[in-house]
Amino acid sequence: MRLIYLLLIVCFSSAVTANTEPPIRFGLTAVVMTENTRFLDDWSQYLEQKMGRKVEFVLRRSYRDVMDLLDSGGIEFAWICGYPYVQTRKPESLRLMTVPIYRGSPSYYSYIIVHHRSPYKRFSDLNGKVFAFSDPDSNSGFLYPLSVITRNGDKPEAFFRETFFTFNHAETIQAIAEQVADGGAVDSYIWEYLAAFKPEVTAKTRIIKRSPKFGFPPLVSRLGVAETTVELMKDTLENMDQDATGKALLAKLKLDGFGNYSDSLYNEIRGMANKIQTTTSNLFTVTN
Amino acid sequence: MPITNPRSWPLAIKLSLTIIVVVAAVGFMIGAVMVARDWSRFHDELGEKALRLSEYVAINAPRAMQRKNYWSLYLSLKNIAARRAGAAAKHEIITAMILDANGLVQAHLNPAGNPLGIAFSPSSQIEQDLFEQAMSARNPIVLSSGGFSKQDFLEGVVPLFSDQKYMGVVRVRLSVAPLYDEAIRSALIVLGLVFCFVIIGSAVGVLASRRMVRPLTAVTQGLEAVGRGEMTDFAPVPIKDSDEIGRLGVTFNQIMSELAEKKMLEEEIAMSEKLVALGRITAGVAHEINNPLGGLLNCIDTLQRHPDDRQLVDRYLPVIEQGLHRIKDIVQNLLVGLKIEENDQKINIEHIDNLRDLITADIGERNIAVVWNNRVNKEVYVPVKLEQIIYNLLKNALEVLPKSGRIIFDMYEEGEFLIFEVGDSGPGIPSNIRNQLFDPFFTTKTNGTGLGLWVVYRLVESMQGIIEVESEQGEGTIFHVSVPVIRVKAA
Repeated sequence: MRLIYLLLIVCFSSAVTANTEPPIRFGLTAVVMTENTRFLDDWSQYLEQKMGRKVEFVLRRSYRDVMDLLDSGGIEFAWICGYPYVQTRKPESLRLMTVPIYRGSPSYYSYIIVHHRSPYKRFSDLNGKVFAFSDPDSNSGFLYPLSVITRNGDKPEAFFRETFFTFNHAETIQAIAEQVADGGAVDSYIWEYLAAFKPEVTAKTRIIKRSPKFGFPPLVSRLGVAETTVELMKDTLENMDQDATGKALLAKLKLDGFGNYSDSLYNEIRGMANKIQTTTSNLFTVTN
Repeated sequence: MPITNPRSWPLAIKLSLTIIVVVAAVGFMIGAVMVARDWSRFHDELGEKALRLSEYVAINAPRAMQRKNYWSLYLSLKNIAARRAGAAAKHEIITAMILDANGLVQAHLNPAGNPLGIAFSPSSQIEQDLFEQAMSARNPIVLSSGGFSKQDFLEGVVPLFSDQKYMGVVRVRLSVAPLYDEAIRSALIVLGLVFCFVIIGSAVGVLASRRMVRPLTAVTQGLEAVGRGEMTDFAPVPIKDSDEIGRLGVTFNQIMSELAEKKMLEEEIAMSEKLVALGRITAGVAHEINNPLGGLLNCIDTLQRHPDDRQLVDRYLPVIEQGLHRIKDIVQNLLVGLKIEENDQKINIEHIDNLRDLITADIGERNIAVVWNNRVNKEVYVPVKLEQIIYNLLKNALEVLPKSGRIIFDMYEEGEFLIFEVGDSGPGIPSNIRNQLFDPFFTTKTNGTGLGLWVVYRLVESMQGIIEVESEQGEGTIFHVSVPVIRVKAA
């Protein structure tokens, strides 16, 4: 017990001394991007240099973990998916800050992929098969395929023989490539990213369905974070394409830059989410 | 003896071969035991490894199965497979799977062939048996395909429980192929070592056995030389050890030197006997010829002093003639006895019967009966020498007989020998002179030359025959001769 007190005192005292400049914490999941520790170090250094504040990236396994961190005030900013963004929270705890621009627009797709040698040609062929989702809070990796099933009048809980979550778009692609699952839903951004860096994996998959355009997974700020800090972060990110270092970092992310867009960008996802919520309620066991 | 018959092989080779065989047998037996132990140890280790891998997967499997977290189940199998491959370990995972209580696939290292959520279907009867054993296992076990080939495997089976409820099973299968290679490699090493051991052991054994047997070989060669009658150029057996073989060598050397000495002594005796015989002959010749020569010279001297005395001439000339005849007889007999020519001439056995007439003529007025019994086949031919032998014996018999008596001649065949006996009813030979009977110039007769029986003895000897004499004082004498039969017809 004495040790815990001591630790508390140490924590408290350090918080007091660093009170003037607390680090800005940025939540990320492996869902939205592939794990690349060195890149995150470079990016955080870049942001620190530009903002004059310490920036820490906080990596979590699932969107839900990141959302919990946001709710509890454990992080100031987060790169989340459109689906958790559009979900209604009471009270609202976050706000749209900036949106990545990918191939000229702030949008991406969901790809329904199968093994390249499989006979499946359309989504309905996957009826009774094994399907891999990426994250229960992912738009492209969960919400979209669910909406396709319900739109066709099928029951999501009975459509597939088995389903599982990989909590990682890249691993969903791997699951299809290795035929653990017959089909899967992935983020087009991640699929294209892998197609550039690990073409031997994506070559084993075939896209049988592409979703309509969705708003690209946004970067959000927690309500309550100082306006100046939010503005500083937003400006720093949106101006990354203005200097060489920022451009190099964007190139590694395969992004054009970050831009200021309105919340209406996510209306498509919002509509899908509302429909799903009325028809399904916790049908899938969400696992950690 | 044929070389294929081991009984005829030299002792050194047999002993060496025995040592080689024993060393090789022991070596290979030890090698086989080592290889078998190695294999069994590898086998146990591999089974243990398969079990450990299964247990590792089984730690989180029940929870992941309950949560349908198939991806993490699959990744746990992938992990152990990748780890084994990456560790450059001796073992490779052939396959691994997680099945639920109903045998439905929860994860499989080969997902394409074993789809998720479908019942696992064994591909063969062996697979079916293994599957049933795995599904009925309620404790961790190691299953084996049971063979000893590169295709065989060991399987670690760990049943899964959650809150004491049976959930399914983890099966991890390791190939014995690396083990097989390892076993072959270690067997080769052991074999190589055993081979070296056998070579060295055999070489040492061969050297040792040759060294041990060498005195025996020398003894054997020495004895063979003795058998051939060569004793003088015998080289002593070298003695190094004082064991049984060494002692044998020492004894053998002693015997050999004694034998050689004896042989030399015998040769010396034989030589001196020859010299004695020669001396006796020379003395006999000198004496026998000198005797008539003295009378002859006296006669000639008297005749020279009275050349006109016709009476003296008439008296002395027959004496001179008689003396010269005697000398001639002696010289002739000596020539026959000393220089027995190899006369190949053969005569028919019937020819012998002529001797009967000859001897009957010699009897003259005396009352002597001749019993003649020639029972030999008329086809038989004999050397011409035989005629002289028989004539001499008959004449000898005639000479020992007084005014009356009997002479018996009997001749017959017995096996490969021609046997004849010449007997007389004379006074017999005193036992004290029987040993000298065949000596030259030995005679009991006043007028004899002492060469007749000597010539007979020499002739019989030259025909590889045997002559024996049987005599008893006052009962007569029988000469018994046997010579090999010669059946060849006369040329």
